[in-house]
Amino acid sequence: MARGTFIARLTLVACSHAALLAGCAGASAHTGSGSGSGGFIGGFAHPVFGPDHVVAMVAVGLWGALLGAPAIWLLPVVFPLVMAGGGAAGILGLPLPAVEIGVAVSAVVLGLMVALALRPPLWVAAVLVGAFAIFHGHAHGSELPPGADAVAFSVGFVVATGLLHLAGITFGLLARWPAGRVTVRAVGGAIALAGLAFLRGIG
Amino acid sequence: MSGLLAGLLQPLTQPAHALALLALGLLIGQQRARCRMWLLLTLACGLAAGLAAIAFGVAETPAGNALLAAAALTGVLVALARELPALSCALLTAVTGAALGLDSPPQAISVAIATMTQIGTALGASLAVAIVATAAARLAAQARIWPRTAVRVLGSWVAASAVLGLALRLARGQLF
Repeated sequence: MARGTFIARLTLVACSHAALLAGCAGASAHTGSGSGSGGFIGGFAHPVFGPDHVVAMVAVGLWGALLGAPAIWLLPVVFPLVMAGGGAAGILGLPLPAVEIGVAVSAVVLGLMVALALRPPLWVAAVLVGAFAIFHGHAHGSELPPGADAVAFSVGFVVATGLLHLAGITFGLLARWPAGRVTVRAVGGAIALAGLAFLRGIG
Repeated sequence: MSGLLAGLLQPLTQPAHALALLALGLLIGQQRARCRMWLLLTLACGLAAGLAAIAFGVAETPAGNALLAAAALTGVLVALARELPALSCALLTAVTGAALGLDSPPQAISVAIATMTQIGTALGASLAVAIVATAAARLAAQARIWPRTAVRVLGSWVAASAVLGLALRLARGQLF
């Protein structure tokens, strides 16, 4: 392998670590409707400060990286589009049962997919990720602060979600090496365990 | 700030305008090379029509919401990355240009400054789309899949942002 390529990959992995740390450092819970400023920053902070959202988004990226092309780009394209539908439903107050359970289950299932390195057909992966995207979108849509600038807030929200996917994908690129593959699968297992903890917290 | 400069920057300082222009630039960049110049001219015509309507005192319109809807549709088309029939693409471009023009009423009281602001808006929007389209076309021409994927992902982000923005406006009663 060329030295330059290796260094570039190391840089990518370092960036993904930084993004993960930045996301996890502030992770405590969904911000709720009363907090967070309006505009881009408020929208950007909204998904980043929800640990259940963070781990699931990273898992989407990790799984995409493990599955390889075309899943590596299809899943990050599908997720925001479907999430926007769920988010719109949440904003408009349309009911969706067991939203928080769905969000926690998404971390469990996607984490397991990574941990077990499962490779279902592409359409199954896309439908699974799309279904969970509805829950994530709805959860955040129903919590948006009332005073926020609609479009700037939405842009921040979507960009943060996309960057979490990117963090997962870049970390998932470690799977090209045997030791890296073990690390990525271990992170998937940790995400599944975190999802179980979220489920216990809900129950 | 002078009228022309205010107009030049105006499309970039409003999130809905910036989203629509970004999506349109990406879409034009994905089309055949010979179509791109015609689409940019169509955008300029649409902008001129919208700005002229404002200059002639058209009453308040839901152009801002139409612009967001156009951005959502354009973003989805970018994410799909299909070459479109030239007429459909031109129609979408014209609608985006006209909606952007109608949603850009100048704040100046003086007619001279207001006119310069409108000219600046048309120039700024056209230039922004031309720059994005050129960059997107270069990315689309790459042999590697990553650059083209980045364009598609950006398209999906624009579409998702526009849909959420429309939903927020609807929930607040600002849509109709």
